[in-house]
Amino acid sequence: MRWLIWILTLGLAAWALETAFAGGFPHQDHQAEASETQVTFNRDIAPVIFSSCASCHRPGEAAPFSLLTYEDVKKHARQIAEVTHTRNMPPWLPEPQDLKFADEMRLTAAQIDLIQKWVDQGELEGDPANRPQQPKFVEGWRLGTPDLILKAEKPLVLPPEGTDTYWNFIFRLPIQETHWVKAIEIRPGDKRFVHHANLMVDREASSRRRETTPGAGFGGMEIRIESQMFDPDSHLLFWKPGTVPYTEPEGMELRLDKGTDLILNTHLQPSGKTEVIQPSIGIYFSSHPATKLPMLLQLEDDAKLDIPAGESDFVVTDDFTLPVDVDLLAIYPHAHYLGKDIQAFATLPDGEKKTLIHISHWNLNWQAVYRYTEPVVLPKGTIVSLRYVYDNSEANPLNPNRPPARVKSGNRSSDEMCHLWLQVLPVNFDAAPGDPRMLLQEALAQHEVEKNPADFEAHYNLAAMLQAKGKLDRAMDEYQAALRLRPGDAVANNAIGSVLLAEGHPEQAGPFLEAALKARPDYFDAHYNFGNVLAAQDNFEDASTQFVLALQARPDDANTEANLGSALAEMGKISEAKGHFERALQLDPSNALAKENLAELRRTMNR
Amino acid sequence: MGRGRFVFRGCIFLAGIFFACLGCGALAQTQQTAFDLDGKPSDPLAQASSKIVVLVFLRQDCPVSSRYAPVIQKISERYQHDASFFLVYPDKTESAQRIRKYLADYGYHLPALRDPEHALVKSALAEITPEAAVFNREGKLIYHGRIDNWYVEFGRSRPAPTTHELSDAIGAAISGKPLANGGVKGVGCYISDLE
Repeated sequence: MRWLIWILTLGLAAWALETAFAGGFPHQDHQAEASETQVTFNRDIAPVIFSSCASCHRPGEAAPFSLLTYEDVKKHARQIAEVTHTRNMPPWLPEPQDLKFADEMRLTAAQIDLIQKWVDQGELEGDPANRPQQPKFVEGWRLGTPDLILKAEKPLVLPPEGTDTYWNFIFRLPIQETHWVKAIEIRPGDKRFVHHANLMVDREASSRRRETTPGAGFGGMEIRIESQMFDPDSHLLFWKPGTVPYTEPEGMELRLDKGTDLILNTHLQPSGKTEVIQPSIGIYFSSHPATKLPMLLQLEDDAKLDIPAGESDFVVTDDFTLPVDVDLLAIYPHAHYLGKDIQAFATLPDGEKKTLIHISHWNLNWQAVYRYTEPVVLPKGTIVSLRYVYDNSEANPLNPNRPPARVKSGNRSSDEMCHLWLQVLPVNFDAAPGDPRMLLQEALAQHEVEKNPADFEAHYNLAAMLQAKGKLDRAMDEYQAALRLRPGDAVANNAIGSVLLAEGHPEQAGPFLEAALKARPDYFDAHYNFGNVLAAQDNFEDASTQFVLALQARPDDANTEANLGSALAEMGKISEAKGHFERALQLDPSNALAKENLAELRRTMNR
Repeated sequence: MGRGRFVFRGCIFLAGIFFACLGCGALAQTQQTAFDLDGKPSDPLAQASSKIVVLVFLRQDCPVSSRYAPVIQKISERYQHDASFFLVYPDKTESAQRIRKYLADYGYHLPALRDPEHALVKSALAEITPEAAVFNREGKLIYHGRIDNWYVEFGRSRPAPTTHELSDAIGAAISGKPLANGGVKGVGCYISDLE
């Protein structure tokens, strides 16, 4: 007996021995010692499960079963031990690093060992007095009742089987004026079948064109949203299982205007039976407009993605030098099924290298936005780099091609991607030259053009940036470069037409706008610009036709109403003109053009 | 062991009721039997039929086994002339009513059994849901394990499976040809967690 008691005091080793001999030795003598090494649910396991698992593993949440009681956990004990050991659960991809992420879900090695030990010891419940209180969760909307709740107009019927589905729901905002938003809670429908969801701001309703039936949404893994104003989206509105709705920091509210759409891009996985998915979003307004303007920087090199079949270590890198000081707030890496090892780092001007994120076992299913607990200070001149490794060999079980095939970049899930978004806030800048985000945007666009001289969008974006800064000549060169790459493109033709009009060459602008309208007959901007081109050439009749067509594309545009009024007034159709000026003012009481013209009209009528 | 000895002794003393003894043996085993959804004891392996028997072990709270529903239903339809399929629920807390709803939700047209005492789990050497077991026409277990290799590990699945162990095993049972691998562990939820 003596040797047994002596060994027991050694803790872990003693526990193994005690179990092995459990049948043969009386235990009364050393009960006190045993309790030191005996893992129980109530004392040891419940705190881990309650804090790290229960937020998803409870009724109504994403997980397939609850983990709220001893019985719940016992029913999955070996499974929990296994998936925590392999780190499939809780889902947390980044490796430990110096720069800390908020809401980290990574279990410690000690916690994982404890679960295994509990299972090996027979999954004892233990003393009820030791059990922590079951966690309390907020029911319903986590941040309270939203100011505006929108539900997807039509649900998606997800078939019981097949490959993963990517679907985009459009939420048309029923707001009549600009609102500032401090938080948006995404409710993706049935959380069990939605792997992740991204909410994007479409300020020009450009995605609606992709719906075959209005309100039905549209398929597609990756979407591009067109915007012709310099108004970069600056917020990462993301949902994955376990996401707690994020309230933007004071001063970093998101602007939503009348006519803005929100697009929810969802990744759905068939469950074995037919599921009906109808997401909703809850919007929380703020009384303050934004005072700080963050921005999303995208590093990428999709053009380099041409991965030979069988290649197991295909490396893609991109390096971007920051033209201004920024605070890095959040990071969001993205690749598809061939992605293997994903890294981003910053090399500071003094040579110091900081790991921004490292995921050594990339898993598209658990992609996420990671927010730093503290802003990461990156001075001007810092090189931000990505390094992604892809595995297109047979050894990658997730390889969408069997046998492996050459894979390039693209929007389908069987294509590949190399993207990294960084949410940055420019700091320490001189406000005099204007919005520091323009410097970032121009540097990014320049970087794109250098990387991809044959990329239409790179040239187009650089041109748009130069145009916004008033550098019309250089903008025109870049637009022309874009148009050479895609001669019939509606957007590029429209842009060139608008530059020529702004430079005072309406007669040159006309053909470009006609080409734009040939490519896209319901293109609001091109009709509007063409109307102005015709009006500048005193062709008011055709101009008014263009404004009418523009209004068909966007019925509530105050400027177009005012312009239509002007064209009609020039044609002497005074009473018709008056009606359009009045409607313009109804749509936008501050519309200066309509006010001025209406006053002019009254003077004319009184004469 | 008391019960076993009693039965044995009875046989010695009352040689005349030999058949009753077999009955006793069976009675003793009713401690471990599966039940159909009407609550009647059911042993799919003892059914008088020369058909191949396939048991598929499922759990409602295991998402992997649910995702397999269309796959299992299709395999059962392909082999319906040669093999009898049974869905087996080893969770003793699972009610017949809930199983009926599950079958309807997931479009199953197969008989389902509750196996609260894990009688079939033991006969089939099942460890995971979903796993299948194939008994040939002679009632011999020739395969137990995963349905195919769709899942690589928990939370990671291939775009489509590249091996089809269950279909291969049924094919072997039909042709009588030997099977290379009689057991491949599945990915999913441990049945032993239900004990």
